[in-house]
Amino acid sequence: MANAEQIAAQILAAKSLCVSSSWLNTFLASSQRNIPASALTKTALFRVLASDIRQSLATNPTSVFPVDVSDPNVQERRLPGPIPVQVLDIEDIGTSLWSQVEAIERVERGEAIRGREIIRTISVGEDNEATGNGSSNNNSSVGTSSASGSSGHGPHRLILQDAGGTKAMAIEMQRIEGISLENLSIGSKFLLRNATVARGMVLMNPDSATLLGGKIEALDKPWREGRKARLLQKIGSMEAEANQTNDDI
Amino acid sequence: MARKILCVAEKPAIARAVATHLSGGSFQTHAIRGNQYVKNYEFDFNFGEPWGNCSVTMTSVIGHLTGLDFDRQYKGWMSCPPGALFEAPVQEDVDKDKLPIAENIRNQARYSKALFIWTDCDREGEHIGAEVRNQAKAGNSRIEVKRARFSNTERAHVLRAAREPVELDEFQANAVAARIELDLRIGAAFTRLQTLQLQAVVAVLKEKVISYGSCQFPTLGFVVDRYLRVQNFKPETFWGIKVMLQREGKKVNFLWKRVHLFDRAAVTMMLERCLIAKQAKVTEVNQKPKSKWRPLPLTTVDLQMMGSRFLRLDSQTIMKVAEALYTKGYISYPRTETDQFDKAIDLKKLVEKQFPDGQWGQYAKDLIDGKFRTPRSGRHNDKAHPPIHPVCWVSPSQLNSNEKKVYEFVVRRFLACCSDDAKGQGTDIEIQYGEEKFHANGLIVLERNYLDVYVYDKWESSQQLPNFERGELFEPTEANIYEGKTTAPSYLTEPELIGLMDANGIGTDATMAEHIAKIKEREYVVVHPRGSGRSKVEELIPTRLGIALVEGYDNVVAGLPNSISLSKPFLRKEMELRMLEICAGSKTRQEVVQQSLDMYREVFIHTQRRIEMLKAACRKYLNE
Repeated sequence: MANAEQIAAQILAAKSLCVSSSWLNTFLASSQRNIPASALTKTALFRVLASDIRQSLATNPTSVFPVDVSDPNVQERRLPGPIPVQVLDIEDIGTSLWSQVEAIERVERGEAIRGREIIRTISVGEDNEATGNGSSNNNSSVGTSSASGSSGHGPHRLILQDAGGTKAMAIEMQRIEGISLENLSIGSKFLLRNATVARGMVLMNPDSATLLGGKIEALDKPWREGRKARLLQKIGSMEAEANQTNDDI
Repeated sequence: MARKILCVAEKPAIARAVATHLSGGSFQTHAIRGNQYVKNYEFDFNFGEPWGNCSVTMTSVIGHLTGLDFDRQYKGWMSCPPGALFEAPVQEDVDKDKLPIAENIRNQARYSKALFIWTDCDREGEHIGAEVRNQAKAGNSRIEVKRARFSNTERAHVLRAAREPVELDEFQANAVAARIELDLRIGAAFTRLQTLQLQAVVAVLKEKVISYGSCQFPTLGFVVDRYLRVQNFKPETFWGIKVMLQREGKKVNFLWKRVHLFDRAAVTMMLERCLIAKQAKVTEVNQKPKSKWRPLPLTTVDLQMMGSRFLRLDSQTIMKVAEALYTKGYISYPRTETDQFDKAIDLKKLVEKQFPDGQWGQYAKDLIDGKFRTPRSGRHNDKAHPPIHPVCWVSPSQLNSNEKKVYEFVVRRFLACCSDDAKGQGTDIEIQYGEEKFHANGLIVLERNYLDVYVYDKWESSQQLPNFERGELFEPTEANIYEGKTTAPSYLTEPELIGLMDANGIGTDATMAEHIAKIKEREYVVVHPRGSGRSKVEELIPTRLGIALVEGYDNVVAGLPNSISLSKPFLRKEMELRMLEICAGSKTRQEVVQQSLDMYREVFIHTQRRIEMLKAACRKYLNE
């Protein structure tokens, strides 16, 4: 039977993830005996990706964010890493909140838009993803992004959390395969290497951020269910703020 | 000469035009009893084989001869529960005011060897043709029946149609019959239900008929949907980066590839990183020929959309005017989905006919002198009619002002189709500045070509860009953040609405304008002008009643799995698709009527059960 050190070493070599020994021992204790080492390593990695890394990963000073990572006074700094992180939130900052709400509502009604055509998606089955290529109705709204909302083109703003629990905001500076509102699960893991932090924002690009995958089910589901409410709430507070400023003038 | 042929057109003007061509101008005109518009024209004509030389009576109907209605005992509004109208017996009868016309056809048929139908070549025309046939057969059961295939009333075209008769398309006639029955049953059932229920709820509806139509409601739905989007819209602030370079005395503005973002801190950070980089690098310099394509051949939907945009006429007016121009023989049949010209049409000859014109005659000559190009082909072909085109030239003094506008548009569009694309030279410059990309585009129009005659399209040279070398570095003169706000979409305009109806299968190109006129007439929507002068547009805004009906029907089906609101296009679209199946011969009229009735009956039952929803919506919007 494989021992904990072997598995930890393999995961470290393959994915640069430093698994916590106590987590690994618990994992081994709960798994069946007589499983080949390679299969056990695979399962362990899968579990790590589905776990909260604050519990499953060990930390050392270079594998976590500096505590003041979000300090906006720091113009630029570089984090050699590698730093494993998990995604706590993702937003599309290339698309207005309102058009994202409209897109969600279309999905709720079981409609999608293809050019000018409205398509019913509900009777087609479970697969009611609204993936119109830009709604025609948006054409007239100058200044509104023409994206259909839910599958907007980004860039995305993410909240990342390291194994020590420190959170940082991140911006997708260049398109990264796998980052989208539909496909990136909450709790997905990234590995950051030589990432730049500017004004408190981690800059993500294909060289500095590698998607390892994974998902934290307990976070992902409520995040998806609450997305529309959060968007509406944000719009509400923006409005309140705007009214405030108007009153001040 | 014993043979007699009875020809019947859809309208008196077409009968007269065809008679004129076939007779060479000499015919006798007889009035018919009981109708002052329909005339019988008598003359001789040689049809060629097999009929040969015959004496001809050319007459017409005025649109449909018959109407479908419920049997007497179901006609009263209180005579039966509205739901019974889905099954109540119906009867087809000649309309009262059409009785003399029908009688004329029966009488004439008695002495005729053959009936030659000259109704318009579309679905509706096919059905009218079948009605004419039924009358003729009632007068003479052995009469032979043929049909003329024609798409304009130009002389040579009419003569050819006269010598190449075809058969009546029974499938198309059946599709129309199915549609008529469905419209009657569904329309009457819902109209009675909602009128009776809602009249009692709100005082202002007391005397009102609240009519329902399976095309009208989705049409209204589009208007309401846009209205609510405008009303609910929330503006948001966005930020972008502008880069400007002064070179060779010109200001070059570079646009951000990301356009703008909704996160101020992120944009500020991105700009800072540009500034830290100091120098921008030219990554692409592309000089390439650009062209603006000449338009596609003109379809009905395009005529209505473009027409209401450029000519400032509503779509119904445009169709009426186009109809008149067709009847007078100036343009081809204005109801067509075809956007490709058949190879057999001699386009140059049609271009030549425009030589006498004071405005575009010279342009037409230039086309024939070498600039002529074969038109682009679109992807639609209804196999019945060519794209709308001018058949002959007419002096502007012969036309009223609306006719002039529409005729001019049809001619200019046609000449544009036969022209070359506009050509120009485009320059695209892309720069990398920090991590951000920006671009500047320039355009020089070199040959205007079709733009010279198609005055409705705009394509103009931009400011000329200074020279850039690929790989060169420069320090931008300015780089700034700008702030903007998203703006609400505008209310729906008629051309947009036609576009939506077309894309969603509501109505046919022939009936869309009528549905829009209907919802205005019913006071479900009103037209509001916005702006003035050249930028004036007419917007469609729903009335309180219009909003109440849509919201009410949406609420009726809210939460019911697989139930579709009547304000949505889906049910009607499905019905429209089934009509096509009848036309193709893959479904019978009875099958389609049954299936479609079942679909609507389900919604009807929901509506009855949850009528409170509809009432509540009316109370909400209509009680002061």
